[in-house]
Amino acid sequence: MKRYILRRAGYCALSLFLLSLTIFFFVRVTGDPATLLVEPGASRADIAAIHHQFGLDRPLLVQYWLFMVNLFHGDFGQSFYYQVPVLQLYLSRLPNSLLLAAVAMGLSLLIGIPSGILASVHVGRFWDSFGKVFSLLGLSLPSFWVGLVLILVFSVYLGWLPSSGAGTPLHLIMPAFALGWYFAASHMRLTRSSMLEVLGSEYIKLARLKGLPQSLVIAKHAFKNALIPVLTLAGINLVIMVNVAVVVETVFAWPGIGRLLYEGIAFRDFPVVQGVVLMGGAMIVVVNLLVDILYAVIDPRIRLEK
Amino acid sequence: MSTPADVISLPARAPRSTFWSSLRRAQFPLIPTLILGVITFVAIFANQLAPHNPEVGSLVARFRPPFWMAKGSTEYLLGTDQLGRDVLSRLIFGARISLVVGFTAVIFAGVIGTALGIISGYLGSWADQVIMRITDTWLALPALTFAIFLAAIVGPSMWNIVIILGLTYWTRYARVIRGEVLSLKERDFVKLAIVAGCSKWTIMRRHLLPNVINTAVVLGSLMLGVVIIAEASLSFLGVGVPPPEPAWGLMLSDGKQGLMVGYWWLTVFPGCCIMLMVLSANLIGDWLRVKLDPQLRQL
Amino acid sequence: MHVVQPQSASLGSNRLSRRDVLALAALGAVAGAPTIARAAAPAGQLTWGIHVSLTPTWFDPAETLGLITPYMVLYALHDAMVKPMPGKLQSPSLAESWIASEDGLSYSFVIRKEAKFHNGDPVTAEDVKFSFQRYKGAAHALMQSQVAEIETPDPQHVTFKLKKPWPDFLTFYSSASGAGWIVPKKYVEKVGDEGFKKAPIGAGPYKFVSFKPGIELVLEAFDGYWRKTPAVKRLVMKMIPDETTRLAALKQGEVDIAYSIRGELAEDLRKTPGLALKPVVLQGPNWLYFPEQWDPKSPWSKLKVRQAANLAIDREGMSKALFLGYCKVTNNAVVPYTFEYYWQPPAAEHDPEKAKKLLAEAGYPNGFDAGLMYCDSSYANMAEVSVDNLTAIGITIKLQPVERAGFFAGYSNKKYAKGVIQGASAAFGNAATRMASFVAKGGAFCYGSYPDIDALYPQQADETDPKKRAALLDKMQQLVYEKAMYVPIWQLAFLNGIGPRVGESSFGQIPGFAYTAPFEDITIKA
Repeated sequence: MKRYILRRAGYCALSLFLLSLTIFFFVRVTGDPATLLVEPGASRADIAAIHHQFGLDRPLLVQYWLFMVNLFHGDFGQSFYYQVPVLQLYLSRLPNSLLLAAVAMGLSLLIGIPSGILASVHVGRFWDSFGKVFSLLGLSLPSFWVGLVLILVFSVYLGWLPSSGAGTPLHLIMPAFALGWYFAASHMRLTRSSMLEVLGSEYIKLARLKGLPQSLVIAKHAFKNALIPVLTLAGINLVIMVNVAVVVETVFAWPGIGRLLYEGIAFRDFPVVQGVVLMGGAMIVVVNLLVDILYAVIDPRIRLEK
Repeated sequence: MSTPADVISLPARAPRSTFWSSLRRAQFPLIPTLILGVITFVAIFANQLAPHNPEVGSLVARFRPPFWMAKGSTEYLLGTDQLGRDVLSRLIFGARISLVVGFTAVIFAGVIGTALGIISGYLGSWADQVIMRITDTWLALPALTFAIFLAAIVGPSMWNIVIILGLTYWTRYARVIRGEVLSLKERDFVKLAIVAGCSKWTIMRRHLLPNVINTAVVLGSLMLGVVIIAEASLSFLGVGVPPPEPAWGLMLSDGKQGLMVGYWWLTVFPGCCIMLMVLSANLIGDWLRVKLDPQLRQL
Repeated sequence: MHVVQPQSASLGSNRLSRRDVLALAALGAVAGAPTIARAAAPAGQLTWGIHVSLTPTWFDPAETLGLITPYMVLYALHDAMVKPMPGKLQSPSLAESWIASEDGLSYSFVIRKEAKFHNGDPVTAEDVKFSFQRYKGAAHALMQSQVAEIETPDPQHVTFKLKKPWPDFLTFYSSASGAGWIVPKKYVEKVGDEGFKKAPIGAGPYKFVSFKPGIELVLEAFDGYWRKTPAVKRLVMKMIPDETTRLAALKQGEVDIAYSIRGELAEDLRKTPGLALKPVVLQGPNWLYFPEQWDPKSPWSKLKVRQAANLAIDREGMSKALFLGYCKVTNNAVVPYTFEYYWQPPAAEHDPEKAKKLLAEAGYPNGFDAGLMYCDSSYANMAEVSVDNLTAIGITIKLQPVERAGFFAGYSNKKYAKGVIQGASAAFGNAATRMASFVAKGGAFCYGSYPDIDALYPQQADETDPKKRAALLDKMQQLVYEKAMYVPIWQLAFLNGIGPRVGESSFGQIPGFAYTAPFEDITIKA
């Protein structure tokens, strides 16, 4: 078991290392931040001065080495644009993104699980199709469009909710919905098939034989077991959500890391881009690792595999 | 009420019989297929079908509403946009772009992902490790941001977007195909081929590939929706298919300002088109999944 | 003395007469006499919804770029010796008056006694000298190379001694650079550059309170400001990059002032009761440029072809469609009409028929394929119309929008040598600086040049008589016009919105400036 964990952890570290390499060289291909920070038409000397200030005039490998060394000290460098440490910037925005993702995930489960259960219980009939279509609808509409329509209806026409920014729970509702609806489909699907499998199992047949009413069968026995894979998926999706929320964050001016990354790319702010991508990658990799370990604990065959 | 005796005397079928049979009852998705068919037809015959030039507009005819509203006319059936271009014509030509971008990106991603998945799954050992590490790394890079990134480097154009989307989404294929290959590897027909002396490449090409195609196709149908939405999101962020191409995602993004002013037709129509296309693709994909390989419920 | 006749009545009252330095020195005229009497205490708060992301670089005048965006904040936090103010492009601010010597080699300033920094320290000559020497922003090399030394005989007097006569010194000191914006020497030396950007102290009407990067900036009124006490106590600048969301916030009352609302959203703004549209014409001309015009094999090398392109562009239609008609068509491609030494070309024409004839005369009766048009993606809508216009006369061209960073890099690195470029510039300066960047040989954005224009450039640079210099610069601009080196589109209108709570917004007070300034004049409606 320990060997398994160590091996997986080793792979994670390798992945992260590759990621750092990739992102480091990638950003430098996207362009030169100096041209953005000076007026169009500045002299070569001005641009060279900025290169020197940011350490961009040193050989690539040296830059990379310094970058990695600093990384081990927890120093992600300083944002070119905002001139504050990247880690500080990231940590100030992360709670917002996590909050949004958590609420969005909650909403998505709220939509997905009940419709999945309904669908599995009434397989092939109306509620099945209805649930399928409703959550698939969420999958078929771009989240920014959903967000804009929500702003128009609830903010401008009805005046019930604030249109942008963060601060109160009211600010959260629309962005969370716009973000969460998209994921509701996969949760619904998984709940449905998982429930169906459980409902078809011997164990449930036994419960039925015992004469338990249908609803109790579902609620007590089927539901809990069916939920495990769904929650696992939700965990993975949560991390994905944090990272893809950039579109919703832009529409609602939500101060999260998605927008931070997007601005970083637009401004060619290398340290910010590197930092956000690495942190995001680390999150995904760690969550994957945890899930793998969890599975290994549950299913011994996995960890004994070659 | 059935007695225990009845239950025990039932023919010994697999315990999951009710589960599977209920799914097999799922009917052929007629409507979604029709919808996709219509979209394809429109895309092919766009030149004949579109009443106006989608890229050139007349500034005096801006923001005309659809013909059934006041101030609308049958000249511009679904209204005009901010530069006076006919919405219907743009939707028609946009179908072409959506289909081309969607299918090409999906196929592109599919080819790369399937190939890598087969190689990785079959060859195992170091090839597997290398490919899996790369896949992990790629997956750790969130898809949309990766796409924004690439768009910032190579600049926007329709083909660049296709490449970007393809490069972004191949990992989904690789993972799943690899898993399938891992189990296929143990099957008899593969073992026979090895014994018969087939080379590794022959086995991968002739024996494994045809068997994973099903999965790839199912994945493809599901990815189609994802890719189309991704294209729309990229356009919204300003790094998608560039104007004046009438890509639906771009129309959605251009029209969003009109939404506030009440020019609803600029976004509702392209939004409906996107939705119909993605929904159809997903429904067909669901059905395909059930039909072709019920094992894939984890997708 | 060079006097400019502006075109038809522009928005607001922006008629300017230009005075050159020597005349001004004699009068030391002051715009907006400093009110010694203190107004009522500042009260209330106004919130801005801004369209860009603020960076701490803009809190430090030493790093001011040649763009106008940093000035959004500079006018609030800081003050300059001489700066553009309502009614005057070179208005005495921290400097009460100044004198230029006869030989043009020295400029002596008298610093206002009541000028103070936010921490209470008076503004002294040492601070002025310090600010100049630490300046590393736009044009710093030029400025610092021209200045031989700076004398500070006493705290109220400072004299700049030049190496040779430089007629543009005051233009650069007052607007084309940030060197004239004064920071407190003792404070900066104590906290360092980094510390200064985290907690800037200046001499402007508002003090720094807090800054959350990418989210908002909070400022508070400084009641020791020499010109007048600001009426509004607290200013909050919120960053809302999406236009639709910004307008929604304005409608909801979440912000009181919103920058940059374009197109149909601007129309909606205009129609909404309680909201007002505030258009400002920027000192930012837009143009089409032909990098291929020096290639004898290219159709663009023919004058008639370029003239045809000029006739094809429907400026009024575009302006009405995209900017509600507020853009100003001056027909001068490169120099804004508010600048010194501006030359007014004949009126622009829109005549597609004549354009087609010219094309035929040039040997292209069926038009030709011009390749790609490169543009900054934020102006893609304008470029789309230009493409349409050109296509209508037979010149097929495909649009290639490039996001801002890549666009400016590509433009100045000469990557766009084949095709057409749609460009713009809102940088400060005067006609000469524009000629330098965009017309004369060696300019950052010049893909080629004409010897007759090039010959004139060094002549005007060395010419100390302003009348003769004006004549030379006029001639240069005239040649640019006659050669159709550029196709001028217009000077961009920046459309802003204000909500019902705003009294005086200060939009349009300073000609050519896009944002609200002077801040001390902003009021909340009672």
